[in-house]
Amino acid sequence: MNNNEKSTENPIGEEILRVEELSKNFGEHQVLRKIDFSVRKGEVICILGSSGSGKSTLLRCINRLETPTFGRVYFHGREVGKSQREINEYRSRVGMVFQSFNLFNNMTVLKNCMEGTRKVLHLPKDEAKSRAITHLKSVGMAPFINAYPEQLSGGQKQRVAIARGLCMNPEVLLFDEPTSALDPEMVGEVLNVMKKLAQTGLTMLIVTHEMGFAHDVASRVLFMDKGYIIEDAPPEKFFTNPDNERTKEFLKRYIKSEKGSENE
Amino acid sequence: MTETPNGIFEWIWFIATKYSDLFISGTIITLIIAVSGTILGFILGFITGIAEDSKIRSEDPLPKKIILGFIKGLCRVYVEIFRDTPMIVQAMIIYFGIRMAGVNIDPISAGILVTVLNTGAYMAETVRAGIKSIDIGQREGALALGMSPISTMIHIILLQAFRNIVPEMANTFLTNLKMTSVLNVIGVKELFLQAKTAGGTYYRYFESYLVIAVIYFVLCFVFNKLFNLIEKKMAVKKNYVLAVEYMDNNE
Repeated sequence: MNNNEKSTENPIGEEILRVEELSKNFGEHQVLRKIDFSVRKGEVICILGSSGSGKSTLLRCINRLETPTFGRVYFHGREVGKSQREINEYRSRVGMVFQSFNLFNNMTVLKNCMEGTRKVLHLPKDEAKSRAITHLKSVGMAPFINAYPEQLSGGQKQRVAIARGLCMNPEVLLFDEPTSALDPEMVGEVLNVMKKLAQTGLTMLIVTHEMGFAHDVASRVLFMDKGYIIEDAPPEKFFTNPDNERTKEFLKRYIKSEKGSENE
Repeated sequence: MTETPNGIFEWIWFIATKYSDLFISGTIITLIIAVSGTILGFILGFITGIAEDSKIRSEDPLPKKIILGFIKGLCRVYVEIFRDTPMIVQAMIIYFGIRMAGVNIDPISAGILVTVLNTGAYMAETVRAGIKSIDIGQREGALALGMSPISTMIHIILLQAFRNIVPEMANTFLTNLKMTSVLNVIGVKELFLQAKTAGGTYYRYFESYLVIAVIYFVLCFVFNKLFNLIEKKMAVKKNYVLAVEYMDNNE
């Protein structure tokens, strides 16, 4: 099965998501300003930018946890409608992994991974369970199926959350700063899982501060500043020869702080 | 031939046995009103609490906004009125109000209605607080899986909020058990009114009320212990075995 998935790995396919003139205001404050971009099948897109640049809000607008003030989101060429039913259906095909994990506290790891497939996709119990175990195995969390979230470390929780998202067989998986709430030594285990996922050809849209990860894994890097996407380039170009002055400044600061932490 | 009892203990025994029918029927009516009033009150409270917690979104169509706004307003007024007036006054107004309107309601039904409305108002606040105590991330996690807001509320939020609400529910039931005594003012033949009747013939009120004090105490004590047991059962199990170990043990 893995081999099959690998064969579909490299080519970038049809367009899955398209965002058009997306804007979001919180009161007077304009967080997103006319965002335009699209996501093609198989792409791994990292969205970088300093805090408050609108990265997370963009992701939350894409899966409608926030309602955009203006603009449209297209999924497979069809505009995502306003009716609750359409939104539910759309969300079941666009997964999301949160910074704060958001695992269901009252359920075991296994139940967490079965909730969506049972309640939304209405899979039979056996199938939901075997699917959950398959994905929990792939993130290395199968031994913990009987544990409750509070008994797990942050990195373990995030790996379960990724498995939970995968159980829905999403066409795109959105990651909202998946490693920002983790202790430094746990960041690696989550990034490794994500790296593995990227190799299977899963389409991913990742908001992150992990520059090294973006450099190694992304097929495209977006840079956001003050609610605009000001740079959209493949990583080779982004990290060596960006077009925008603001991007250069950001990268310079990042390289400095990296060196600083290495010296310590 | 029975002799007149001597001393306080004999009097208590005399009243308790001579009027045992009154005390038993009073206990039954008290329990009926407390149990049915509390259960229906919880349902009303849950509905009210959830309605009050629902949010009007800016992109909702206008009719939905108006209806939802109206319902929320109604819930708010109801909760405020019933929390801010004494139950004894509510009982009078509801009982005589309904009779004035030409409906021949019996005291027990009126008593249950008052208890339901009173419990609903308090439970609404408890449910709202319970829902608020659940982290917003639980909701977002479910919505992101494609679960509908209603399914999210039932399967994720309420299920967790319920655990926080249970102790308060037990409290409310015990309060109701005691508060039914005020319903004597509208002629409900619950424990308090029966004690008044039993004490009246021989003018032995102290002894008679002492009997029902014991009955109230025993009822509350037993139910309290019962609820503690349920609460313990509902607590999340903290232990888990790694699946590998678990499988090894079974093979």
